[in-house]
Amino acid sequence: MNIFIRELKANLRSLIIWGVIVILFVVIGISKFSAYEGNPEMLAILDQMPPAMLDAFNMNAFNLTTVSGFFGVMFTYFALIASISAAMWGSDIISKEERDKTVEFSLTLPITRSRVVTAKTLAVLVNCIGLLLITWGASLASVAQYQPDSEFYAFLRLSMLALFIMQLIFLAIGIFLGCAMKQYRRASSVAVALLLGTYFLSIISGLHENLEFLKYLSPFKYFDAGVLLRESKFDATFLLISAGIIVLSMVGAYLTYSRRDLYI
Amino acid sequence: MKKNIYKHEFKMNLRSVIIWSIAVAVLLFVYISLFSSIAVDTELLNEMLAEFPEELLLAFGMENMDLASVLGYFSFLFLFVQICLAIQASYYGFSLVSIEERELTADFLLAKPVGRTQILTSKLLAALSGLLITNIVVWVSSFILVEIFKGDRTYDTQALILLLLGLFVFQLFFLSVGLVISLLVKRVRNVTPYAMALAFGMYVLSAFGDMLGESKFENITPFKHFDPGYIVQNAAYNLPLVSISLVVIVISLVGSYLLYARRNIPAPV
Repeated sequence: MNIFIRELKANLRSLIIWGVIVILFVVIGISKFSAYEGNPEMLAILDQMPPAMLDAFNMNAFNLTTVSGFFGVMFTYFALIASISAAMWGSDIISKEERDKTVEFSLTLPITRSRVVTAKTLAVLVNCIGLLLITWGASLASVAQYQPDSEFYAFLRLSMLALFIMQLIFLAIGIFLGCAMKQYRRASSVAVALLLGTYFLSIISGLHENLEFLKYLSPFKYFDAGVLLRESKFDATFLLISAGIIVLSMVGAYLTYSRRDLYI
Repeated sequence: MKKNIYKHEFKMNLRSVIIWSIAVAVLLFVYISLFSSIAVDTELLNEMLAEFPEELLLAFGMENMDLASVLGYFSFLFLFVQICLAIQASYYGFSLVSIEERELTADFLLAKPVGRTQILTSKLLAALSGLLITNIVVWVSSFILVEIFKGDRTYDTQALILLLLGLFVFQLFFLSVGLVISLLVKRVRNVTPYAMALAFGMYVLSAFGDMLGESKFENITPFKHFDPGYIVQNAAYNLPLVSISLVVIVISLVGSYLLYARRNIPAPV
């Protein structure tokens, strides 16, 4: 419990910074939306765009002149922000002890290593939920003036849930890296590399139909906002893969951390 | 410059340089190999790109881009290369001297009979050599891949060379700005968030700047100075903007030397 509270305090500043970034992003996005909103000319133009391009940037099946369609486009960027923050927090929370040379102190406390991991995981989990709520709140506040229908709110709830699962995936991978990497410096670099790699993969997999199979490798493709909007449900395969990644990473984190040598 | 410091720094960096070079070369390969399948619908694509809403084109730097031509497509994927290289360079910049304080090796290094200016010069040269190696890998692989996958299309060699040569100055910008920021703050705890913030921040600034109509503010980002669309179209640099980059580089380097020479080094407890 002490560790949990200590970590929450230590991470508060980072949460605030990320929150400000999200809010800024929503403000910029909604100011763009004002140019699209209810503009039939824009819709005609969008209809004519090459499908490859639309797929690549996940704009397919979105009617940008409605709030839901616009939010669907924003979802890709929300996903990017949320997963970068989750990966950073996850990889940092464990490895920072070694970086700041405090690991010998915290591991001599009378608690097991797995309890340390649990407390730290819960602390960053609270951070992720905090960022998610900020994203949710900012989205609600920004679209209020356009008076969206109840369908939009259902879509927003669903996409926030998708965002949360993506956060969990990258958080779990980050924590696993922090626990498993012998050198603390590698943890965050590898996390960023994975993130960029899977993001680029998600763009590539949309460019050409022969590359569709790549979508299984990229969490950014697991929750397609277009599908969420049309079908209002998640794809069971991807839910299973996500759950698998999260469980495996966390089990791996506990196993490796309780028997690892410390980098001092 | 001290040879042994340079050597040590270079060796420490070598692994990361190799990984970055391979990663960017793979990225280039994956994207360029898709060119032939995408450029098939030449006519279609061109017609449709003309109909794109302006905001969207600006966001992805495609306002004067022709995805069916070799260089048009290359400048589209070049943005991703630029993002990667920007992260690499800012990472090196932020960690160049801050790593000594984080790892508590600063007092050891500074107690050596070598001036701080010399230390900084050796470290900078080592980082520059690393960046140069990455650049050479990118230059060579770009040329080879473009030659292999261009099919029977032709392209303007001079524009491609200009595009690639600009990369080095582009990276230098992030290296020197990262360095001077790391010397301005009291302590860099973790390099990655700083590097990501600088590189991604500059990218997002250039992507969103256009749409908001603030054309003055976005001029601070090198993604604008070395806009691939502009270079390909004009086969020349946008010199006023490139000179902004150069001025920023010179100021940050001079500032770094001044700051480092009188920096307070916290001693390990």
